Amino acid sequence: MNAAIALILGLIVVFIGYRFYARYIDRSVMRAQADKMTPARMYMDGVDFVPTGRNVLFGYQFKSIAGAAPVIGAIMAAQWGWLPAMLWLFAGVLFIGWVHDYTSAMISVRSEGLTFGGLSYRLISPRARGILLSFIYFYLLLVVSAFGAVVAKAVVSTGEAVVGLVVLTLAGVLAGQMIYRWKRDIVLTSAVTVVIAVGGVVAGNFLPASTFLGAFAGKIWVWAAFAFLFSYLGATLPIWQFAQPVNYVSFYIIFLGLIGGMVGAFVGHPKFTLPAFTQPVIAIGPIWPMLFVTLACGAISGWHSLVSSSGTARQLERETDARPVAAGSMFAEMMLGLLALVAASVAFAGLPQFGAAMQAGGAGGVFASGLSKLLGYLGLPARVGATFAAVLIIILAITVMQLVLRFMRLATAELVGERMPAMRNVQLATLVACLLGMVLTLSGWWQYLWVLFGGANQLMASLALLVVSIWLVSQRRKATFTFIPMLFMFVTTIGALCYTSYNLLSKVSMSVAGGGELTVGAAIGNALMGVIAIFLVIAALFLAYDGSRALIRLRTSPPTEEASAPA
Amino acid sequence: MTNSNDPKPDRPPRRGLFSAFKEFIYGMAAHDTTRLAMKTRASMEHLFILITMGDLLGVPILPPYYSMRLLPYVVPQVATWKRRMLREKDLTDSLA
Repeated sequence: MNAAIALILGLIVVFIGYRFYARYIDRSVMRAQADKMTPARMYMDGVDFVPTGRNVLFGYQFKSIAGAAPVIGAIMAAQWGWLPAMLWLFAGVLFIGWVHDYTSAMISVRSEGLTFGGLSYRLISPRARGILLSFIYFYLLLVVSAFGAVVAKAVVSTGEAVVGLVVLTLAGVLAGQMIYRWKRDIVLTSAVTVVIAVGGVVAGNFLPASTFLGAFAGKIWVWAAFAFLFSYLGATLPIWQFAQPVNYVSFYIIFLGLIGGMVGAFVGHPKFTLPAFTQPVIAIGPIWPMLFVTLACGAISGWHSLVSSSGTARQLERETDARPVAAGSMFAEMMLGLLALVAASVAFAGLPQFGAAMQAGGAGGVFASGLSKLLGYLGLPARVGATFAAVLIIILAITVMQLVLRFMRLATAELVGERMPAMRNVQLATLVACLLGMVLTLSGWWQYLWVLFGGANQLMASLALLVVSIWLVSQRRKATFTFIPMLFMFVTTIGALCYTSYNLLSKVSMSVAGGGELTVGAAIGNALMGVIAIFLVIAALFLAYDGSRALIRLRTSPPTEEASAPA
Repeated sequence: MTNSNDPKPDRPPRRGLFSAFKEFIYGMAAHDTTRLAMKTRASMEHLFILITMGDLLGVPILPPYYSMRLLPYVVPQVATWKRRMLREKDLTDSLA
């Protein structure tokens, strides 16, 4: 197998899925109509509900869903060999991933732009909304911790990225000032700040972190603290001053890197050096159920249902735009995951070197090496390419961390603000979220942390598919295309979470009994992760119970007005 | 009277590949910025309407003379303002 053939296979899967399966579901099951009023047109409020063109929305949706997760997940899954990871990417996106994203957007469009909190309240039960919110909080805690670990590991392995990151951040802050304070032209602002950011990345090669931080440059806790401080600022400062302009400048770095990687894979078409299949059980666990949660985004991801319903569905100008926007973005994300898998599969001489790189720099470090090799086919020096790729993956992760911390702050105020008014304070709520994330990042084993994040993510996806199935049943439409994927994802993720939780808690209990080798900090972190996994499983079981009752109720109730109307 | 060559209102107008690519890049890079600007403007509008129409809520902020003078500037915003104010909100809305 070589890189170009892998990418062509991916494009064939995209063509088949989008052209045939997605079109059939769009026309025959969801019955999207171009002339039907959408919430964006009906409830236009100039802020959330705004009719937006489909090309713009495609870019917006893709940017919102494609973070570090498809990249890291694909590389983690490559530990079983490239073939299982590739097959799951293709099958996952073809039968589950796009279905999940597209139907999440469509049921929100058909339900006046309700997001998943409101949908679960209306379709399942009032308590389902509360359970879902607590579930989302802990799910996001795992997101922020796992991404914190990715950032820390990547910076430790590529100290040259630090200067680039700092300069990029300063360029972003400058962009905010130029756009909003000094009212400068956006083209001028973009040109100046992007040149500064790229200059910073190049300069970083001559100034690795070890030259000015000494021994601290190799400490995980230093970079975890850096990542959380960065995200804290992003979550608490006015969004126009920090998070938004930094993300804007970062976009160009990410876009250039990914397009360059894709072109480089075709130009160089290097052969895969990883074996197609390694062994059925690796350190994380057996291929089933662990592969299906390790590689989440790219195949299917619950995060997308939140984005599709809260952002995209309220901006769709026409119902028929949902397929190119939601399904199209999911297929594009699969291609991003595939690029990461290709990068990992060609980066090193063989499996032992790949394993050593995973140990040293984590999946982020492996991606940096692989992308640097692909960019090398376009003439970029390997050293600069590696720094560029490291900055890219770190920025991808840290962008999501800021967004997640901002949401956790709001969720904290909503969930416990009544009983603990202090938690309504912006700084305190963000600090608490940061500290919880730091504890997990620093004390837990990062591969388990990633698996837990993937498990929570996939469980979120199965719950979204459950809500969609309930809606389809309430409308008297075929629900098998969402119900069967929902069952598969639910059973698989519950299995993965239970397996991981058992592993974590048994290690802790062995340590407590004196037979293990965990430090006190690691024991606390692992115990916390195990307990969170159990909580997620229990919350999901409650939701599934309420959901199945709602399904039975709706199957026997008379059809709703929309369901009984002619198509 | 409509021209038979006009695009149908329920169909998106056809655009070239370059134009679609430009829109895609805008969507990825700057659509968030635009939404942020619109949110900021909406917050300002809320304040403006509260100041001028405070009487409706029993909060007499401006003397009625000035409220009446400002009324023509407020009226165009009332429809979208009402939708924003009266819509039931959920925590998951803030993810967008």
